[in-house]
Amino acid sequence: MQVQEISAVTSNSNDLAADQKSVPPTRRADSQTYVALVDVNSFFVSAERVFDPTLADRPVVVLSNNDGCCVALSPEAKALGIEMGTPWFKISAGADQVGLVAKSSNYELYGSMSEKVMGILARFSAWIEVYSIDEAFLGIRGTLDEVQVLGRQMKDEVLRLTGLPVCVGIAKTKTLAKLANQTAKKVPELAGVCVWDRVPELTRERLLRRLPVIEVWGIGVRTTKKLNAMGIMTVKDFVDADPVAIREKFSIVQMRTLLELRGTPCIEMVYEEDPKEQLIFSRSFSQPVTTKDEMEQVLGIYAQRASGRLHRHGREAKVLTAWAMTSDFNDYQSHQPAATVSLPGYSADPVMLTKAAKSLLPKIVDGIRYARAGVMVTDLRDAGPHQMFDEFVSAHEMADVGELIETIRHEQGASSIGLGRAGLQRGPAWQMKREMMSPRYTTHWDELLEVKAN
Amino acid sequence: MKVEEVYQYAPTMQPRRLISAGVGRVPAGFPSPSQDYSDTKIDLNQMLIKDELSTFVVRVSGDSMEDAGIFDGDELIVDRSIEPHDGHVVIAVVDGEMTVKRLRVTDTGVVLQAENAQYPDVTVPELSDLVVWGVATRCLHRL
Repeated sequence: MQVQEISAVTSNSNDLAADQKSVPPTRRADSQTYVALVDVNSFFVSAERVFDPTLADRPVVVLSNNDGCCVALSPEAKALGIEMGTPWFKISAGADQVGLVAKSSNYELYGSMSEKVMGILARFSAWIEVYSIDEAFLGIRGTLDEVQVLGRQMKDEVLRLTGLPVCVGIAKTKTLAKLANQTAKKVPELAGVCVWDRVPELTRERLLRRLPVIEVWGIGVRTTKKLNAMGIMTVKDFVDADPVAIREKFSIVQMRTLLELRGTPCIEMVYEEDPKEQLIFSRSFSQPVTTKDEMEQVLGIYAQRASGRLHRHGREAKVLTAWAMTSDFNDYQSHQPAATVSLPGYSADPVMLTKAAKSLLPKIVDGIRYARAGVMVTDLRDAGPHQMFDEFVSAHEMADVGELIETIRHEQGASSIGLGRAGLQRGPAWQMKREMMSPRYTTHWDELLEVKAN
Repeated sequence: MKVEEVYQYAPTMQPRRLISAGVGRVPAGFPSPSQDYSDTKIDLNQMLIKDELSTFVVRVSGDSMEDAGIFDGDELIVDRSIEPHDGHVVIAVVDGEMTVKRLRVTDTGVVLQAENAQYPDVTVPELSDLVVWGVATRCLHRL
């Protein structure tokens, strides 16, 4: 783990800078590196509530594509006995009676609110791994008290600037940070921030003894069944198990999870590099991608995001690497295809980058459940007038297609236009049934939030 | 992640392009004297937005803020990072509705003031009852 070399807390925020002036945390002998997991509480529902105060305190569900089933629930909806995956048609008839509100997925809104959250979190640490649309791991440093304060500040700042409530779990390892985050959500006294090592030993023990082992990040249904058969029912049983025996019975993955629960960091942070050296666009999927077609779309979107970032930083790249991977925790399959392409010239052109990213497709196996994919560009240089000297410029570049697309995306939003299948990103969405969708408040001029002057 | 293979692919070249490439440009020639001065543009974001992450745009419906120069159909730039103070134009949540009003905080209480004589002020009994969604910093008004 590269934790030690990185002084993670940046001082973009004035408040933070002021706090650090008196006691620089990185110099203190008792200051340590921790992992913070920050995630938005019931993200989709919370994003809807930011713009619609009538949804506060009411049971709210957000529906999947085509208004099929519930993919996000407010605590009030959970209290009604509604579960993740409950089909909408089963509960729609009685909805009015119990005051239940359903919303179609508003991906534009969620995407833009997610960007805001991640941008705010990035002010707290240069070392951030955006794990999914609503959660990120951050590397932070400090004493136990200092990281507690930092966690609090993260939570307050995201709420103040975006209106979204988050919980923060802080611990020595990612797996424990996940556990601390779950604890922060469940224990109201913690007020949304749980620093694992500050929880009294006895309380932690009691908690681990109460939690079924399936609650651990990375322990799936199948592993749980096998563990249960061995008499390992709770997280505590698992922590107390012999790591070597676990490795023999399962694999190195489960042993790593066990060691992480004991406080030994084994799962590295995946962080995005300084755009001076390389640029990575990578995300975990909310649902596994299982077909070449879907992957083609994903790679197209990622390549174009990478192109957008290159444009923003005024850089261009010579080499592109695209990769996909199954989950580390997938017991059945393991596949990490990657392809590196040397571009014909330095470029930030989305056409060129998309084409290069698709070199990965022949290696994608239909039916494998990919959990994450990414596009990385390396060998960067400043974009400048020298590009006109390049002999190997693509046909599109000459026709200024890339620039045109970039302009449109800049004006109309990142998902307004794209190349090939990435251009279809919203195509299916248009045909999708989204009858109960709220306005796209943050991405469309004609759907802005209405404020009353009456 | 490891790199498994390195591909080199040839771009699709169209001769037409090589010719058109020269039109209007002199790649190795004398650079335009205006080049050094042309790298900046007026950027409205820079002028209107202090912090992009905390900024939202909303649209006004109604005429109760006309004396403040805020008209029906105007857009407001709202910055959630600003702490609301007396005199700010704020977006407040009143009876489950997003409302734009002038915030007045005095010794006698908190008032959400309309900027149009035809509309009454809204008195907020307790400061803690007031939910301010954000502070409006600019009004975009079409002329």
